[in-house]
Amino acid sequence: MNEFWDKVVELFTTPQYIDSLLHGFLLTLQISFFAILLGLIIGTIVALIDTSKRTKWTILPKAICKIYTTVIRGTPMALQLFIMFFVIFAIRGFPQIIIAILAFGFNSGAYVAEVIRSGIQSVDKGQTEAGMALGLSRFTIFRRIVAPQAIKNILPALGNEIVTVIKETAIVSMVGMYDLNMAAKDIGSGQNMASYIVPMFVAALFYLATVYLITFIIRQIEKHLRRSERRA
Amino acid sequence: MSEEVLSIKNLKKEFGQNKVLKGIDFSLRDKERVVVLGPSGSGKSTFLRCINRMEEPTSGEMSFEGTLITDKNIQQMRQKIGMVFQHFNLINNLTVMQNLTLAPAKLKLMNLEAAEKKARNLLRHIGLLNKADAYPASLSGGQQQRIAIIRAMMMNPEILLFDEPTSALDPESIGDVLDLIREVVDAGMTVMIVTHEMGFAREIASRVIFVDQGHIIEEGTPTEFFEHPQTPRVQEFLKKVLY
Ligand SMILES: Nc1ncnc2c1ncn2[C@@H]1O[C@H](COP(=O)(O)OP(=O)(O)OP(=O)(O)O)[C@@H](O)[C@H]1O
Ligand SMILES: [Mg+2]
Repeated sequence: MNEFWDKVVELFTTPQYIDSLLHGFLLTLQISFFAILLGLIIGTIVALIDTSKRTKWTILPKAICKIYTTVIRGTPMALQLFIMFFVIFAIRGFPQIIIAILAFGFNSGAYVAEVIRSGIQSVDKGQTEAGMALGLSRFTIFRRIVAPQAIKNILPALGNEIVTVIKETAIVSMVGMYDLNMAAKDIGSGQNMASYIVPMFVAALFYLATVYLITFIIRQIEKHLRRSERRA
Repeated sequence: MSEEVLSIKNLKKEFGQNKVLKGIDFSLRDKERVVVLGPSGSGKSTFLRCINRMEEPTSGEMSFEGTLITDKNIQQMRQKIGMVFQHFNLINNLTVMQNLTLAPAKLKLMNLEAAEKKARNLLRHIGLLNKADAYPASLSGGQQQRIAIIRAMMMNPEILLFDEPTSALDPESIGDVLDLIREVVDAGMTVMIVTHEMGFAREIASRVIFVDQGHIIEEGTPTEFFEHPQTPRVQEFLKKVLY
């Protein structure tokens, strides 16, 4: 046990290790943040197309969205990452971080779309009909009635998806990127540290803290939304 | 005779193979109070919902105040054709006041201030002014339905469609809601009401129509309809519902 704590002290007092950890962590955060952002944008658009009225103008977009979500959700994330790296962006010198963001963003988009779609569809049809019967436009009905109610169903599931993305980005180490996961392995395999347990334990704490923070924030937003409805 | 507000010619509605309305011809005149009766599943709701295109008719022509109702002008038309639902359908994420003012203000029928003033007057009238800032979930069914009715009135509609407005209520609140409908009708509103409240139907109707298997099979004044039903189908129906 003593040896364990010695290694912990060593890890936190050696600037080189701290540097590696923080670099890795930063990359993890960067990929996660932009991938989640991209996923939200793609997911929202796909969900809106998916739940829109079926007309001759929406048949093709709907079909494309269907294929997109089916393929993404039916294949491994690691394979999608490989395809992005070694097939689509097999260009020398193209920034790896952007390829990773695209891979995770496109992946997350399919799941976000599903979360938003089911959130929208869980709003009682009577709510839309009330708006229609009053002569409101589809847009107003969505913005003032459906979206605010859907968001309450969407938020918890969206929180899960965000957490999933953060954890899943760890597989970028498979294509040689230096994220938090890779940093832990790198430090552990070094001559001086010569132990995987401590850096990996610390990396786990970093992931945990991040996930906990996100979960906490989402809870607060949920609580806030719920409170505004119980008033009076 | 007063002028025709709504004219329906050969309205048909099919859900897939299920032919629900098989050619309805109907005309509604100003200040008429039409009660729609018929067995369950005969298409009464579908009929009402086709009028403001909550359901897309399969075929047929409908005109409102002389203008053909189309997909293009339906939003305008709906402002003039109010609807009250069986399950109230107050908007859950809006307060009572917001439920009342959203559409009139958004559609620029009046400014927000005027809408709120009108809403307060109507709320005071039904004794629910103290609920202006409450959310629908905190109200009883009877309260919600009465607010749904004044929400429709906020638009100054030409006609009001009621689809079983008291069917989802406990017996105690039915009376309150019927009183309010009675008041709306006495003020001269043109209405169509689907209801299972036979006493109320008889009292309020200027005309009763009976829908069965996709057709209007009988119509007449309440006295004609209830005292001297012509078709065996209606005679049998009345025997059941009036004991
Ligand atoms: N959205 C829909 N999709 C498919 N079928 C429908 C739909 N709405 C109604 N129907 C069918 O149309 C028929 C008539 O239904 P409708 O609700 O108009 O009857 P109703 O006379 O209002 O009955 P009730 O007295 O029970 O309210 C039924 O067979 C019903 O199953
Ligand atoms: Mg019905």
